[in-house]
Amino acid sequence: MRRTIPFRLNGEPVEAQVAPHETLVEVLQESFGLYGARESCGQGLCGCCTVLVNGTAVSGCLYLAVLAEHSDVQTIESGEQPDAVQEAFVERSAFQCGFCTPGFVLMTRQLLDENPDPDEDAIRHYLSGNLCRCAAYPEILEAVKLAAKKRRQR
Amino acid sequence: MRPFELLEPRSLREAVAALEASDARPMAGGTAIMLMMKAGVLRPGCLVSLRSLRLEQLEVASDGALRVGAMTTLRALEKSEVVRKGWPVITKTLRTLSNVRVRNVATLGGHLAHGDPHMDLPPLLSALGATATIAGPKGERTSPVEALYSGYLETTLRKGELITRVEIPALGRKRAAYLKCTTRSADDWPALGVAVVMDGDKPTIVVSAATDRPTRLASLEAAEALHIESDLHGSAAYKKQLLRVYLKRAIHEARNASH
Amino acid sequence: MKRATQATETPQVGRSVPRLESWLKVTGKAEYVHNLRLPGMLYGKIFRSSVAHGRIKRIDASAARAVAGVHSVVTAAEIRKLIPEPYYGPAFHDQPILAVGKVRYVGEPVAVVLASDPHVAEEAVHLITAEYEELPAVYDEVEAMTSKAIVHDELKPAGTFPDLKHLKGRKNTNVALEFRLRRGNAEKAMKGAERVFEHRFRTQQVMHTPLEPLVSVAESTESTLTIHTASQSPSFVRIEIARLLGWPENRIRVRVPFLGGGFGAKLYIKLEALVSVLSLITRKPVKISLTMEEQFFTITKHASTFRIKSGVTKDGRIVARDCEVWWNGGAYADIGPRVAQKSGFTAPGPYDVQDVAIDSYALYTNLPPAGALRGFGIPQLVWAYESHTDLIARELGIDPVEFRRKNLLREGRPQATGTLMKDAALEKVLERLEVLMDWQKPFDRGEGTVRRGRGIAIGFKACIANTASLAAVNINADGSVTVYTSCVDMGQGSDTAMAQIAAEVLHLATESVTVVHSDTDVTPFDMATLGSRSLFHSGNAVKLAAEDALKKLVQLKEELHLAADTPVAEVFRKKYGMRAGSVTGAGSFIPPYTPPDEDGQSDNATPFWMVGASGVELEVDTETGRVRLTRLVNVADVGTPINPRIVETQLSSGAIMQLGFSLFEKMLFDAEGQLRNASLAEYKIPGFLDIPEHITNEAVVAEQRNGPFGGKGVGETATFGVSPAIANAIHDAVGVRLTELPMNPEAVFMAMQKK
Repeated sequence: MRRTIPFRLNGEPVEAQVAPHETLVEVLQESFGLYGARESCGQGLCGCCTVLVNGTAVSGCLYLAVLAEHSDVQTIESGEQPDAVQEAFVERSAFQCGFCTPGFVLMTRQLLDENPDPDEDAIRHYLSGNLCRCAAYPEILEAVKLAAKKRRQR
Repeated sequence: MRPFELLEPRSLREAVAALEASDARPMAGGTAIMLMMKAGVLRPGCLVSLRSLRLEQLEVASDGALRVGAMTTLRALEKSEVVRKGWPVITKTLRTLSNVRVRNVATLGGHLAHGDPHMDLPPLLSALGATATIAGPKGERTSPVEALYSGYLETTLRKGELITRVEIPALGRKRAAYLKCTTRSADDWPALGVAVVMDGDKPTIVVSAATDRPTRLASLEAAEALHIESDLHGSAAYKKQLLRVYLKRAIHEARNASH
Repeated sequence: MKRATQATETPQVGRSVPRLESWLKVTGKAEYVHNLRLPGMLYGKIFRSSVAHGRIKRIDASAARAVAGVHSVVTAAEIRKLIPEPYYGPAFHDQPILAVGKVRYVGEPVAVVLASDPHVAEEAVHLITAEYEELPAVYDEVEAMTSKAIVHDELKPAGTFPDLKHLKGRKNTNVALEFRLRRGNAEKAMKGAERVFEHRFRTQQVMHTPLEPLVSVAESTESTLTIHTASQSPSFVRIEIARLLGWPENRIRVRVPFLGGGFGAKLYIKLEALVSVLSLITRKPVKISLTMEEQFFTITKHASTFRIKSGVTKDGRIVARDCEVWWNGGAYADIGPRVAQKSGFTAPGPYDVQDVAIDSYALYTNLPPAGALRGFGIPQLVWAYESHTDLIARELGIDPVEFRRKNLLREGRPQATGTLMKDAALEKVLERLEVLMDWQKPFDRGEGTVRRGRGIAIGFKACIANTASLAAVNINADGSVTVYTSCVDMGQGSDTAMAQIAAEVLHLATESVTVVHSDTDVTPFDMATLGSRSLFHSGNAVKLAAEDALKKLVQLKEELHLAADTPVAEVFRKKYGMRAGSVTGAGSFIPPYTPPDEDGQSDNATPFWMVGASGVELEVDTETGRVRLTRLVNVADVGTPINPRIVETQLSSGAIMQLGFSLFEKMLFDAEGQLRNASLAEYKIPGFLDIPEHITNEAVVAEQRNGPFGGKGVGETATFGVSPAIANAIHDAVGVRLTELPMNPEAVFMAMQKK
């Protein structure tokens, strides 16, 4: 029961052949070779599978790919240059093994889009759905604050 | 996951008809159902997506009640100025409900129809006297949100029925609070949820998480007689203690709520 | 990013160089085996035991085999055609690649379904049925000592360890290993002591939950095998797979890119033997990628019971310590026997006690196997001895810091093994913690329903010995440098550290050095990346290799009669006629070691000590038992920090991980040995909202004289003191003593009720 679904992926029009039970993360990996979104907890709790659909962050491991038809999908791989958030994460050493990092970067961008000057409480709550077993949380907090500052200056 | 058929009806009538099939299940935001399918707990042959039914309205009616379409996302509810002004307890509750990505896709209808007693809105909306409008094979009916729950993961929704709208009465002079207690990490399912709505000195109390469904307490004393079971989040005795403490705190918070 | 080779006189060691792989990680481009797909690859999904202990009567995979798209179903029967004795393990060859004849824990792999579509494989797994003749099971480590439920009919120590030989063939026991240490006469000293204290402490089974779950891929021809695996020990994998197959090592290649977390889970053999044998049977590449849930059925951390007894003078000198530790190793030994032994000998703690008795037992039980987890048994020991020490101090009315200061081991003093303490800055760490905690200032414990308390704890670890690391360094013809090491970067920054060390020797900017990832065809032997050994061992090897390369370059210049300051490119042009070629330096490092005698005594038990202390301030909500840390301070001796920023983040990270183990993580089993919370929805790990608001991490000024540029490991150090510091703070706040982990709100509340 595979169906061809057209959608936009990182700004480009694409097509994929998907079965109803396939998730967005699976299709991104299998059909497009994009591995920045990864399935880890499989339950939408860790954020490693974060993908943007129509500008909204979703858990790609719980999002049926067919539902992305005609949508605008953005992954960590979109964009040519590293942005202020990625720069801040590097400058503040806000990662260790890196497996959760794309999810944190995408969620941080969303946070700052909505709230350009979040306080620590707002940051912790917004990112409470992203887990880091390496526990780089203190560094991530600093990176988000730095990213906010960088964005404001640009 | 077992392969299944995915339908996307464009009208309520189509959706209801599709849901009458024995192994068909509705999908709203998809978070809860995807979890259950991946765990192998649910293996439907057909999923009926509700997202094209245009049930996303969010408005205040002339009588001051909040009318929310069942497919309104929790995030839309959370960010709504109208909700924040008229029902700030809902806005506050949503802030720690699951996480942002879940709230981005999860819907009010899906949330209420799931029947998991650990969820936050069922006890709160029950205490607020909310009503659900339900469409089904036999037409439309309404039900207090409180009456939706018949047991652990069991609702009074019949085959083919789905929630289309939820109406929450204006608070008026009432004051409300919802407190939950997690006993492991902060981002855990709660061991206990307590919703309190004060109408003057008269409290409406609905307890959840420690009970198998949102449960109204006729009085504070009734708390002692509640049937509570031990689980991963705590023993029955400990949850009883939490109940005593959080009842007191929720009443206090409700009394002092700004609205 | 520009990384041109840059000569520099700026010291590279002591520089907070940003991790070399930073841009790869923040752009999602870092390579993990999790991502690997090969043409024609089959996915394997595992069918697991549903009983804790039983003989396999039959396995019926016929319905699974009949599913469209299923390539095959494999059980031990098929594996034994290729490997008659399919047992592996670092200490005991007791773990079957797939269950043979018996299952020993719920979740043990029994069969594998192979298909090119993982969904098909998974669905087919549900169609396999197995029948077991159930046997009595044992779950508790103390009970396992004497239980009639025997997990293994016969012990199978790995032949490579001479000290385990005497255990071969032993039957009717669940004791895999018994480590015994006697120094002086603890019994006599205890009898003569003015005060005697005895307590029992317990810890729980937990899991590492790296966010990249365990995963391995194998591809083969009739004569070669390549294993791509998320492993911290690629050299060991090659040795062990070669042994299992009876192949020479040079036909097996083990490749490791980045790991999405390790923490000790990805060690020795996990999925490697299984994917290898499946690839050889099917003649296709095979990938097994565990789900988060399946990790809980693969490897965990030892639960433990520790009975500790001290004889003390009235004014607070510890004169004797008697330690008995039971380690719950689960159904297969993995590295448990080493935990019992190598961590076991630090059981009395970092205190100057010359009359010591230690008995440390590695037990088999019918639970998922336990192995190495960040700390390697030390956190469990420190939990007990620092809680115990604190209780003694309280009883005697002596300030906890003062009591410890009185008893700490000083430089040159004999530890329980008899090894003299060297370069272990215990006193300095304690002092610094005291200052950072404002310990001398009055502390407000609050009134009303919220009470406050503070506590400290100090622990130490002996790096395991003796282990080897080899490395190679190439100076290329253009002057650029390549480092070859089988040390694995799992997020702890080892690539960067190795580059810094080589760069320091060769006077280059760290960023211009390339570190080649573990590939056993290319990178030399390294014992494994574990136990905080790599900075010291792999670092020393890299340093030696870089020095050797430099020496060879100097010799080459002399041979060619070139001036000492001749640019590198010119040297190669003169030697080879063009700017090509390289100079390869080799380094091999294995520190001296004396194996312990039958009393656990050795004059050189470890090449270096790790020292870590933590202090905690917290609030207790007395109505609910909920605890909130307001302050966490971690102080450590890491020798000279090679990369201060990485050191700081490792201290922070170790402490936060230990927070989870201290406050809420626990694997919960029912009476039939079934795990009830095998997923992140039900097994909660620390998230953003669990982090204390104020965390301070500091390394004291110290030097590890035999370490590369004075440095040593840090990965585990901040795990040592966190749990007892919290228990000590809770005791300080509300006067109750928790002796079991985790210290969840119910445990705190119930303890207060009992008082």
